[in-house]
Amino acid sequence: MGARAGVRRVVRFLVSLVVLMVASFAMVHLIPGDPVRTSLGPAAPVELVAARRAALGLDRPLPEQLFTYATHVLSGNFGTSFLTGEPVGDVILTRLPNTLALALLATALALLVAVPLGMWTAVRTENGRNRGTDLAFSAATGAAVALPEFLYAIGLVAVLAIGLGWFPPAGMAGPATYVLPVVALAIGPAAMIARITRVETLRELGKDYVRLARAKRLPAGRLHLRHVLPNTLTATLTVGGLLLTSLIAGGVLVEYVFAWPGLGLKIVESITQKDYPVAQGVILVYGAIVLVVNLAVDLALGALDPTSAIKEA
Amino acid sequence: MIIRNLSVRYGRFTAVDDVTLEIPDGRIVGLVGESGSGKSSLARAVCGLVPHTGTVEGARRTQMVFQDPYASLNPRMTVARTIAEGAGPGEVERLLGLVRLPAELAGRYPRELSGGQRQRVAIARALGGDPGLLVADEITSALDVSVQAAVLNLIRGLRDELGLTMLFISHNLAVVRYVADVVAVMHRGRLVEAGPAEQVVGEPAHEYTRALLAAVPRLRG
Amino acid sequence: MTPPPSTDPPVPGMSPAPGTSPVPGSPLAGVPDGHGPVSSSPPQGRKPEAGGRSRVGGPVRGRWLRGGGSPDPGPSRAGRFGWVRRLGASGVGGVVIVAGMVVLAVVGPLVWGEAAGRIDAAAILQGASPEHPLGTDNLGRDLLARVLVAGRYSLLLALAATLVGAVAGVVLGTLPSVLPRRAARLVTATVNALVAFPGLLLAMFTAVVTGLGARGAVLGIGAAIAPGFARLTQTLAARVAGADYVAAARMLGVPRRRILTRHVLPNIAEPLILNLAQAFGGALLGLAGMSFLGLGVQPPQYDWGRLLFDGFPRIYVTPEVALGPAAAIALAGIGFNLLGDALARAAARTSATGAPAPAPAAAPPGEPDPGAVLEVRDLTVAFPGGLTPVREVSLSVAPGEIVGLVGESGSGKSLTAAAIGGLVPYPGTVTYGALRLGGRDVATLSDRELGTALAMVFQDPLAALNPALKVGGQLAEVAVVHEGASRAEARRRAVDRLGHVHLPEPERLAGRHPHELSGGMRQRAVIAMGLMGTPRLIVADEPTTALDVTVQRQILRLLREVVDETGAATLFISHDIAVVGELCDRVVVMYAGRVVEELPAGRLAGGAAHPYTKALIASLPDLDTDRERPLAGIPGAQPGPADVGPGCAFAPRCALATARCESDRPELAARGAGQRVACWEA
Repeated sequence: MGARAGVRRVVRFLVSLVVLMVASFAMVHLIPGDPVRTSLGPAAPVELVAARRAALGLDRPLPEQLFTYATHVLSGNFGTSFLTGEPVGDVILTRLPNTLALALLATALALLVAVPLGMWTAVRTENGRNRGTDLAFSAATGAAVALPEFLYAIGLVAVLAIGLGWFPPAGMAGPATYVLPVVALAIGPAAMIARITRVETLRELGKDYVRLARAKRLPAGRLHLRHVLPNTLTATLTVGGLLLTSLIAGGVLVEYVFAWPGLGLKIVESITQKDYPVAQGVILVYGAIVLVVNLAVDLALGALDPTSAIKEA
Repeated sequence: MIIRNLSVRYGRFTAVDDVTLEIPDGRIVGLVGESGSGKSSLARAVCGLVPHTGTVEGARRTQMVFQDPYASLNPRMTVARTIAEGAGPGEVERLLGLVRLPAELAGRYPRELSGGQRQRVAIARALGGDPGLLVADEITSALDVSVQAAVLNLIRGLRDELGLTMLFISHNLAVVRYVADVVAVMHRGRLVEAGPAEQVVGEPAHEYTRALLAAVPRLRG
Repeated sequence: MTPPPSTDPPVPGMSPAPGTSPVPGSPLAGVPDGHGPVSSSPPQGRKPEAGGRSRVGGPVRGRWLRGGGSPDPGPSRAGRFGWVRRLGASGVGGVVIVAGMVVLAVVGPLVWGEAAGRIDAAAILQGASPEHPLGTDNLGRDLLARVLVAGRYSLLLALAATLVGAVAGVVLGTLPSVLPRRAARLVTATVNALVAFPGLLLAMFTAVVTGLGARGAVLGIGAAIAPGFARLTQTLAARVAGADYVAAARMLGVPRRRILTRHVLPNIAEPLILNLAQAFGGALLGLAGMSFLGLGVQPPQYDWGRLLFDGFPRIYVTPEVALGPAAAIALAGIGFNLLGDALARAAARTSATGAPAPAPAAAPPGEPDPGAVLEVRDLTVAFPGGLTPVREVSLSVAPGEIVGLVGESGSGKSLTAAAIGGLVPYPGTVTYGALRLGGRDVATLSDRELGTALAMVFQDPLAALNPALKVGGQLAEVAVVHEGASRAEARRRAVDRLGHVHLPEPERLAGRHPHELSGGMRQRAVIAMGLMGTPRLIVADEPTTALDVTVQRQILRLLREVVDETGAATLFISHDIAVVGELCDRVVVMYAGRVVEELPAGRLAGGAAHPYTKALIASLPDLDTDRERPLAGIPGAQPGPADVGPGCAFAPRCALATARCESDRPELAARGAGQRVACWEA
């Protein structure tokens, strides 16, 4: 990616960030009726509702509210929880690292398992040889992709934690508690990446430069690692980035199963309990993470792929 | 008809630079050039498929036949429906006859035809639009030599029978010389030479035409 | 952001079965490129000048709700029949599961509805027992019955969400083509931004706004599905709208609406409909997830996710209560995914290959020809299903000689070259009486010997160079791998070789990536790569076909220069008999997998004997062709590798053919010095 394209990409990121902020602001205002009334319930005294509304600035004109919201968010003030009175910013700060740890570990695990597996299968099944391997791979990854992460999580808890007692079933305390959530989160993406790596590798193996390398009688290892792998990375990385963002979302369900003290658990609680400031803040943070990851992936792709400058033009 | 001061720009890149070219009625004008010479952009501009400046005067209706016979027919329409789109259903048999295809092919889908047959269907479709000008863009470059010969014969036959006016575009100078009455040479977006076919090939005026001629492979002996 | 690629592999190898491909020649025309159906690319000839076809892969499987990006369909070439057969075993499994689900949805509430609602205070929160195989809930209701009844609601909600998502998506995806430019770009940008967002996040956003409950969840999941569909619609519509046949229709004056209904919609509807199955699976899982989190279906209503939500806290005591809903969700997920997968694959696939055929017995090798660097005797290439695209080809090339191998697409010339280079793709089998390089059987040569002695040049030099590696490094590799040269030494030689093929500033060029070079420069670099070792044999397969004539001329000159200098034997494969006649010393003409004539190049114009060779020459206009007379041409088409009869393969198209030609195949027979012809009548 040339410098121009890079700058354009960053500008797009900033615009998206603004749109995201407006969206998270709008979220609360889109709630039919009065969010404070909805949150506190019909039995709440009128004075309390009015006080809350005033405290939240809901009695001010919309543009002013948006402006206040924006300045607050930019200074790290995400409001306070309806329920606990805690600053939402503090909640996010304590919980975000736990969520990120899960997502990053799961992404790393998925990539480490899936890329070699996908390449190996591609090489073994090139041009339709070794049908057995092909079928086994397709069936296994197909099933793995088809199941949602919360089922893996429940299955792992039932078998490995409750049944066999090898791992703690829930909570976050020490390395052992990371194993099940990370695995539950990684299985689906790993299957997905393995499939994509395989397809990309097969595509590359059919190209003339591979034929030429074969005509030069390069050793297989060199052919696959030095010639083919770099050309499959673009696609793998693109999808890997998308999966990382989706892992963050999938983390919500996994955190719920494992009672993991992350943002995911918090957002479920806050939505269920109509704690709108918390829900608003957490969704904003989630969205920002997605945007940052996508930006990072695009910039990394631009740096990695020598032809992307041309594609961009 | 005449193409006057035609230019095509993509962003800052000028694909066709101020081309003026006359296409006499009932004649085939062959346009030759290498990749990037702008000949396909010119073709698309003449057909109104890309934005351009300049004018195309006197062209009653323009129809086009494309390079890739595997992409130029709707895979979900039979030959008959494809041809009938411009001409109406009553004309299908006549048009198939014009391009020397048996009437039985009318019910077939493109995937059931060979490359040469598809290209003939594409020509029939274009003829169905009663073209004042037919633009043929590299229509034989995806075909085998023996199939190409038949399509070239067909093109010349159509000119003689129907008095077809045509802009025939190719990278192959020998092919252009064979089918065209007038040969025009494009290089880097500009028209460098145009004249009667034998004259351009026999006494090329422009240096680039000479280079192009010298590069045409020839059998020895 | 580039759309993620397909997880659906391009059909490997040789897909089209004999008779299904009306392509001139056969699917085995060239060495298969592994890029899907052969019929989608021009057999020979140049790269399309304006906007080549880009092959974007098939849909990304499932995971709509994980923000898996844009599902992007491959080119659809489905026929009108054979769906079931083409679904395959996994597809049939998917159909069975999905059908079972539908049946359950219809009858479940009728059969078990009463049992599912029966409150039994005596049997509260029980584990598995004979009366209640999956236990009971907090009101003593039978969980098995509830799981079976919940199917209908789960599927209905998923259906609703899918429809919401698909309709919203298709509208969003179509808008850019009807809106003014600025608005269109805004919509496109919004869709692109939303596609990158995980669906669950969008669903939660919606859930906050609409409040807890099934309605919010359905809208949320619908909102999550919509961007994917929008992107898909946009991609498909853009692809179809840019197609030549739409341009042709526009020029014919077909009204906009008719173009939409006859050309655009039919060609995008199928992939869209196919993707519904996958979207449905995704919606089902997404809704289950929402309900499982307590954000979806609220009591007294229940779907599978809600049952799981209720059962999950009890997992420590009675894990079986979570089993039923979990299994139901898993089964549904797999069923719809299998079906969606199979449908998408069926749409992209052509047909399957047949059974392997026994390899023909090879002829005895005989004595090596001392004068030939390359000696090929009775080379046969066969593919499963009785396809034999190369049949008993014999040829030899002397040092410093360039032999042209000429033929039309489907003649087997490229596959012959691949066989000589040892590059015939699986499942092709190569047999030969003799295949000798420098007098030794190639099978006995080490990789090192072959790697340095054999140089290959392909049609598309951009494809032949690795886009990810610098030119210099790719050249140096041979020396490093096979000759143990140091990096510096190898690089020095690479620069030297690049200069040798007359590339300017070789030092700087070595540090460039292939895409930074022009077509002619790339082909020079590929030739330079062949010169890194000590080439004894150069196999050049259509090396100038993708190049402009003026560049072609330069490359031909370079090839001749290199051959003269190295004394390498060269096999030059081309469809262009004029190029072959100009460059080569000798010409071998192939038709339908066999050599039909072999003659000195100088005699092509006047001394060709085989009717096919003559017709090929007569078909080709040159600068002296009489413009008043029609070109010769050849009626009919070359038979495919499975359709060759016992007689002369050219007989059906030959003016001289007799009854004998139909029944008996003429062998190659000597005719004068250096010429051999396989014809009874010539």
